[in-house]
Parts: sequence; C-alpha cells; structure tokens
Amino acid sequence: MRQDWNTLALCDRFFDAIEQKDFEKLEQCYAPEAIVWHSHDCLYQQRDANLAVLKDGMTRLKKMRFKNRRVHTFEGGFVQQHTLFVTHPNDFVGQMDVCFIGYVRDGRISRAYEYFDTGQIEKFLGPARGG
Amino acid sequence: MNMSDGEIRELCNRFFDAYQDRHVDELADIYAPDCIVWHNVFGRETTGTDNLAALPASYQGQRRRTYNDRIINTFDGGFVIQYTLHGVQHSGHQGALWICIVGLCKDGKITRIDEYMDSGKFPAWRGRGKSDAMEEKAR
Repeated sequence: MRQDWNTLALCDRFFDAIEQKDFEKLEQCYAPEAIVWHSHDCLYQQRDANLAVLKDGMTRLKKMRFKNRRVHTFEGGFVQQHTLFVTHPNDFVGQMDVCFIGYVRDGRISRAYEYFDTGQIEKFLGPARGG
Repeated sequence: MNMSDGEIRELCNRFFDAYQDRHVDELADIYAPDCIVWHNVFGRETTGTDNLAALPASYQGQRRRTYNDRIINTFDGGFVIQYTLHGVQHSGHQGALWICIVGLCKDGKITRIDEYMDSGKFPAWRGRGKSDAMEEKAR
C-alpha cells in the first residue's frame, strides 16, 4: 500500500512539475539511467535528450496542462491516461490524448513509454505549427 | 467480486488470443454487456456490441494478424498491455503497429477498453504510399 502511495505521488510530482515549469523537480523524478520511448518513432530517448525536449517545451509554451488524469499503479510502476493541453506562443491551444507508462526504480522513473497519435498532430501543433 | 492478478492476466491473454484467432464468439463472452471501447484515433466511445459487429469486416483487411511482444501489468480492477500488432496484408506486405491498451475488468469480464495507437503509421502498416493515405483522408 505504501509503495502504491509513493508511486502515485511520483506520478503526480512528475506531471505537476511540467505544468509548474519546475525543471529541478522534474529532473529529480528521473533515475540516472532513465530512458523514454515514444510511439511515433519507436525509439528510446536518453534521459538528457528527453529532459532537453521537456525544458524547451516548458520554456517556449505559454502553458502545459495534463487534464482528465486517470492513474493506476502496478507492481513496479504506473500508467497515466490524460489529455495534454498546450497553449502555444500564438495562443493556439492544442490538445492530445496520451497514455504514459512509467516503470519505477528506487522512487524514480527509470523507463517510460508514451503513446499518442501523430495522425492528429495538427490538433496539437495548430495549422501553422504553433507559431 | 474482485479479480486476482492472475485472473486479470489470464483474461487479458484470453482476449488477445481470441482477437488474434478471430474467435468473435469468445470475444462476445469476454466483453461485459455494457462494455465501452474507446480509440484515441477516433476520439470517441463505442459499445462492445458495435466493436464486435465491425470485426468480421475488419478481419478481411489482412491475411493474418498476430499480437506479439505482450507486456502485461495488472492493477486493482484492470490491466495495461503494451504490444506489437503484426499484420500480413493480402498483398504479402508485412506491417506493424505499436499499441497500448488500458482495460478495466469486473466479475471475469472486460468492462472498458481504451486503445492508444499512432494512425500516422497506417500507411506503413497497409504498405501503401503516404499520398494514398492523404487521398483517403481527404475523401
């Protein structure tokens, strides 16, 4: 039960840190060996490269919100389903349904898988690619 | 009645085996009567009944489909499965889709399915050019 609570707290901390643009808190959620797989290229991204992409989004975008979060914890990790809303510099609000699966080691995310649909990328980036 | 980890895992595998082997009757037995199926690609919910009704036509699209590389994790009342769907088209083209499903279960049945896949990979799955897919989208 305690493990579930810790995993839930880690999941909330991770997504809250992105919303709050708290890069230090975000970085602490990843284990040193963390890798992130994305369904659009089926490749594993190294920790630093992933953090750089997140940092860029947190800097460039006006707002990032993970809404309708549905979280389940399992032995060794969690799955969160959410709709990501992003407010672009040109005020276009994009959205995308995402399923994020995080595997946890020693209280940190060591491996993550992110599934989303690039067929709806205009709904996320906007017709003019977000400006 | 709460299902154990083993029962949920078994139900999940039974579901994908039935899907793979085109056993629609068994799938009907696995879906709860009020089962809801949601696809990220369409962004809407359908009923389990509608999902089953569409299967025979859907199966005609490929010569064979196999649900491989299954990674199943169970939680209280459900599962999350990550897998690779391999398909052999009638042309002989072999394609793959990488999919994740979150399933909710109760009393030995699946009550809800949320499916996440990337429709941007459909042209490669079908073995057709991107322009074909654009034309199809425009129709």
